[in-house]
Amino acid sequence: MSNTRRLMGIFGLTAVIYGALAGVTVPAQGIKITDPTSVVLIVNRDSNDIGFMDLKTNTMIGKVFLGNNVNPHMAMMSPDGRYVVTGGTRANKAYIIDVPTLTLAKVVPVDIAPEHLAFTPDGRYYYQGNPDGDTLSVIDMASMTEIKRIAGFAEPLNVTFTPDGTKAYIGNYGSHWVGVVDVTRHELLKKIQVAAPPGVAKLDPDRYLSEIKGINNASITNDGRYLYAADSDLGVVGVIDTREDKVVKVIRVGKDPWRAYMSHDGRYAITINNGDETISVIDVSSNRVVATLDAGPDMTGVNFAAGKAFVISSSTSFVYVYDMDSLKPAGRIKIGTNLQLETATTDTADEKLYLASSTDHSIYVIDGRTEDVTRVANVGLFPWGTHIMDSKDNYCH
Amino acid sequence: MSNLCHERLKLLICCVWVGFAAILVLPVTGIAQEQAEDRQALLDQIEMIEKRLNELKARALEPDPAPAYTLAGMPAQQMPQMARPTGGQQAQAPSAEASVPEEAEQTVQERLAELERRVSELESTTVLSEPETRVRQVQVWVDENGIEYDHEVPGSRPVITYQRERVFRRQTISEKIEEALSEEAESSVQVGVDAAIVPQGAVQVEGDDTEANGRVYQLASADLFFTARIAQYTLFFADVVGLTGPPPDSEIPGLTLINGYTARLVRQNELNVREAWVRTELFSQQLAINAGRLDLTNYFDRNAGANDETSQFISDGLVNNPALGLSTNGAGVALVLDPRRSVNFKIGFQQSNTDATSLSDSIFSLAEVGYLATPFSLGEGNYRVWGRMDNSTGNNRTAVGVSFDQKLAPMVTLFGRFGTSQSDTGRDHFYSSGLSFQSGLVVNPSDTWGIGYAQGQLATGEQEKLVEGYYNLGLTERLRLSFHLQYFKEWGIAPRPVAYLVPGLRLQASF
Repeated sequence: MSNTRRLMGIFGLTAVIYGALAGVTVPAQGIKITDPTSVVLIVNRDSNDIGFMDLKTNTMIGKVFLGNNVNPHMAMMSPDGRYVVTGGTRANKAYIIDVPTLTLAKVVPVDIAPEHLAFTPDGRYYYQGNPDGDTLSVIDMASMTEIKRIAGFAEPLNVTFTPDGTKAYIGNYGSHWVGVVDVTRHELLKKIQVAAPPGVAKLDPDRYLSEIKGINNASITNDGRYLYAADSDLGVVGVIDTREDKVVKVIRVGKDPWRAYMSHDGRYAITINNGDETISVIDVSSNRVVATLDAGPDMTGVNFAAGKAFVISSSTSFVYVYDMDSLKPAGRIKIGTNLQLETATTDTADEKLYLASSTDHSIYVIDGRTEDVTRVANVGLFPWGTHIMDSKDNYCH
Repeated sequence: MSNLCHERLKLLICCVWVGFAAILVLPVTGIAQEQAEDRQALLDQIEMIEKRLNELKARALEPDPAPAYTLAGMPAQQMPQMARPTGGQQAQAPSAEASVPEEAEQTVQERLAELERRVSELESTTVLSEPETRVRQVQVWVDENGIEYDHEVPGSRPVITYQRERVFRRQTISEKIEEALSEEAESSVQVGVDAAIVPQGAVQVEGDDTEANGRVYQLASADLFFTARIAQYTLFFADVVGLTGPPPDSEIPGLTLINGYTARLVRQNELNVREAWVRTELFSQQLAINAGRLDLTNYFDRNAGANDETSQFISDGLVNNPALGLSTNGAGVALVLDPRRSVNFKIGFQQSNTDATSLSDSIFSLAEVGYLATPFSLGEGNYRVWGRMDNSTGNNRTAVGVSFDQKLAPMVTLFGRFGTSQSDTGRDHFYSSGLSFQSGLVVNPSDTWGIGYAQGQLATGEQEKLVEGYYNLGLTERLRLSFHLQYFKEWGIAPRPVAYLVPGLRLQASF
């Protein structure tokens, strides 16, 4: 009898404690995402929303509508996974989304045509590039306001922070220099010229005056020591030493290189050269081109998975595959017919690619090892890009 | 005792119920509390906004200030809310208003911010903001009754169809123009031009005097290219060429042509169809089939260092392997299987006789295997082995050859060819090798240069050795000027060996 009472007493107390604890631990109503690493973001340009897809089930969890004619371009998750930010290119606004509840937390007016962006490593700020305004907006994530607008750029496209977060390097597509920004003061410190136009350019002024295709991005090595900045017009990659902020080597690659993509093991940088439909593989240790391989037209990006490089050829519906050990072509994957492929991200396990296909409103999941392709349809209108938290292949075009 | 136990039992049961109640109630009350806090925060925020609006409204209703108070020279009447200067003119302001300069400044800032916002909005909305209508290819499922679904249902079959959709995409005028021009270009026939002028001189350096010694030659060539996309993965291409002028080959006999352009010359001052073919790609575009009037040397025995008389060496002995035996273009088919891996395969048939009366005459059949290698940690190298059969003499004569180009460094490529072909009296042999350079070792980034050596040995005893060096200067994107120096020595053509030094220029425009 005594034991029975003791047991019942323990049971009763346990129930009381559990009940009390339950009040604390049960997630509040409206929480839709508890693990930000479990989702892939999808930037839907024409349905004007950011979609969230579960990585395990390939099902849509939800979408956050931003407004008509916003036309988001690129999205990125904050380092702590709490927020997603995106630039509404045609609304001239930055959008901050609360990830757990999938609600729009703040809309911040910025400069003209915001596109690419990046967070500081500590997540305190994010820099929003406004290419048509030639400015960078500094968004303070604590107050969710634009605390400064840094001027003086020429079509700033991509932002790369050093690992310690003290400096940011800005690719200027409207010039041949990389901007160095002091992140402490949010000021443009200097302009690093990657290369000068050749002397023979004087004979062909129309080519150089009609349109400029400069530097898209400064891609950083794993140790943060060097940057690889491809200049499209000049057909070179400038290697920048981040300690001294100067170009230490200029490497000639194929025609019209779009940008450099760093392999996950840090050994190679690959440029996609749309001018001659090749890729150039640069050995980072020797800073020389070790392979120039045939590829396809209209390339938009490179992803790395399962020891291979996957190069997206937008207009052909193909993804070209290269073996990164032998540096040889390893076939190509036909994604579909008459598709327009955009960009992809790779999961953190380096196993799967999530490729946006805009004209059929789909995401194609590519297994890096088997090269099997799974289509996830109706993810939103005109998916333009994807993003996974902590992925090494988060980029845009 | 019994009552006491009973009471304790009641107490325990009570505790259990309280526990269950806590499980059910506490989360709800926690959520409710959180929601209440959120609601209160919202109400506070709304209250603050209302307060600010009321303040602004009250300020807007204040009487207009004196015209003296202006901002940037603008009469204050036009900017009623910006009537509080903070500069040197403040001393002249009425004392009643001097107490609110900070407020005025704030108002001005708000006003400016509002103006900035409106300008930004205008910049966005002055572009095309109407919902855009576009036609998209969609996959649907149709059941046996013809009912269409956007998802698979039992008994349905997938169908590709087209459907209009309306989207909210704001595009600028320049984007729309660019899009329209791009669509126009895709649906039209693309025309390209490649024109070249090649003056060359001949200096005889060995052998009995010939009439060519000291003479100058010039060949002008113009190619018109037509390209049109005629179906999915199917392309039409035509190359119409016209040549004029005397080439050095008319006076300097040799085993191979001094000027590779001469191979295109059929009749002076006339247009000739050099190529006209249709290309289609099958099996996930891994198999390409070209059919029509072809130049099979564009598909077989290719070489990165020496393959094109319009941009690299001009000596025909370096441009092509003479063992291939293809003298003129003709009707044919070329199949290229390229799985985009290290190996590719090609087979082709082509007639190489303009006087042939049927397609059965003078048929050259070729097959080639290509392999991409990266030996000894060098750059990529392309290695090809080919075989050829020719029935032009009534018997099937064979030839085999290899061609390779291997990058020794990013700017240096080693190339070579070897070929042996069957002839009436035995076998003819041809060799060539050289180096080509680009990047790093040039004046301008797009310049290239090379040196090459070729040797031909016929079974009849005739022999040729040639050396050529060239520098191709990229003047503009569409204009190139190259300098060539060739040395030829021929045995067996004249009683004594003859040798020539042939300097030349090639001015080439492509657009």
